[in-house]
Amino acid sequence: MAVYVYSITGSSHPRRLEGLGGVGDPPRELRTVEGGSLTAVVSDAPEPLRPKRRDLAAHHAVQERLMADGVVLPLRFGLTAPDDEAVRAALEERADEYRTRLRALRGCVEYHVKAAQQEESMLRQILQQSEEARRLNEEIRSGADRPDLPLALGELVAREVQVRQNALATRVVETLRPYAREERSSEPTGEDFVNVSFLVDHTDEEGFVSAERGLVDDLGEAFDVRVRGPLPAYSFV
Amino acid sequence: MTVAPQSGTGPALGGGGAGNLYDVLELILDRGLVIDVFARVSLVGIEILKVDARVVVASVDTYLRFAEACNRLDLESGRKAPSQLTDLVGEVTEGGARGRSKGALTGAVEAVTESVRRGHADDKDEEPERRHERAARRPVRHRED
Repeated sequence: MAVYVYSITGSSHPRRLEGLGGVGDPPRELRTVEGGSLTAVVSDAPEPLRPKRRDLAAHHAVQERLMADGVVLPLRFGLTAPDDEAVRAALEERADEYRTRLRALRGCVEYHVKAAQQEESMLRQILQQSEEARRLNEEIRSGADRPDLPLALGELVAREVQVRQNALATRVVETLRPYAREERSSEPTGEDFVNVSFLVDHTDEEGFVSAERGLVDDLGEAFDVRVRGPLPAYSFV
Repeated sequence: MTVAPQSGTGPALGGGGAGNLYDVLELILDRGLVIDVFARVSLVGIEILKVDARVVVASVDTYLRFAEACNRLDLESGRKAPSQLTDLVGEVTEGGARGRSKGALTGAVEAVTESVRRGHADDKDEEPERRHERAARRPVRHRED
């Protein structure tokens, strides 16, 4: 039977998984497979496995539980091995690599940061600061029958939005970077202008959080800053 | 110390609502260790992560929506509207400003989300999605305290 794999830990990790269920409905029972002085947390794989909300939550809950007692390498959701023996073989084959990574992550957690600015606030700023945008806007509002004007205004505004969003993203990252050991940015989605994860040592967490709070205060209420953490280090395995 | 809901205690995603799940979802699905000899289950329903890409700013459509959003902006009502602008926007169209429902960016994202939702109508109660996030994001810092 296929085996769903959640996490890899060092073999000295206590792995207190009592009361926690795995993926599937009903939740599959969690167990462990040892190999190469490492332990994988696994369960039978449900058939079919689908990314239902409860399955994602179960996968994540395993990481959080393990993280509470020590360092963990969280696997990406949805990985299965043919059987326990294959899991053991995988652990043994890459044992050095996994142990090295576990050492590097010791004492660290991930913080994931996204931020958006309310569109109205940004447009307002652009109109205030760009004479050209104001002029175009006013011309359109006064009823000028020129279809090229809205395009020109829109293009100008779009360019300004890009520039401002890039600057904002840089500001967020540079404010938090001093407290992070590693960082990983990815393309923001939706209205967000930044999407970045930081690997933060426990000893820097306080500094990180207070820097983040300062940033939120500085940005003001037109900004929506979402910080998630402390999280298992998904982005730094 | 803990500033956000994913605090390592309790069911992290259970009671948080769609917005919280969404924010960690991409980590669970797109990050994390991959062991290449293992199979990755085909994740039907996860296209939403790919589809909901950053709003493409450089398109005629977006230009026009931006222009419209600017035209409707009630500069006088903004707390930060500088006084020197008052003359420029003397003819603010009040109806337009009050009736404004969504901005250019918001409109684009909602259109995408809507089409995704229709595509998975059969299991919309189960697949993680983003439909409540718009409302949830209006409060500026929606952390669970």
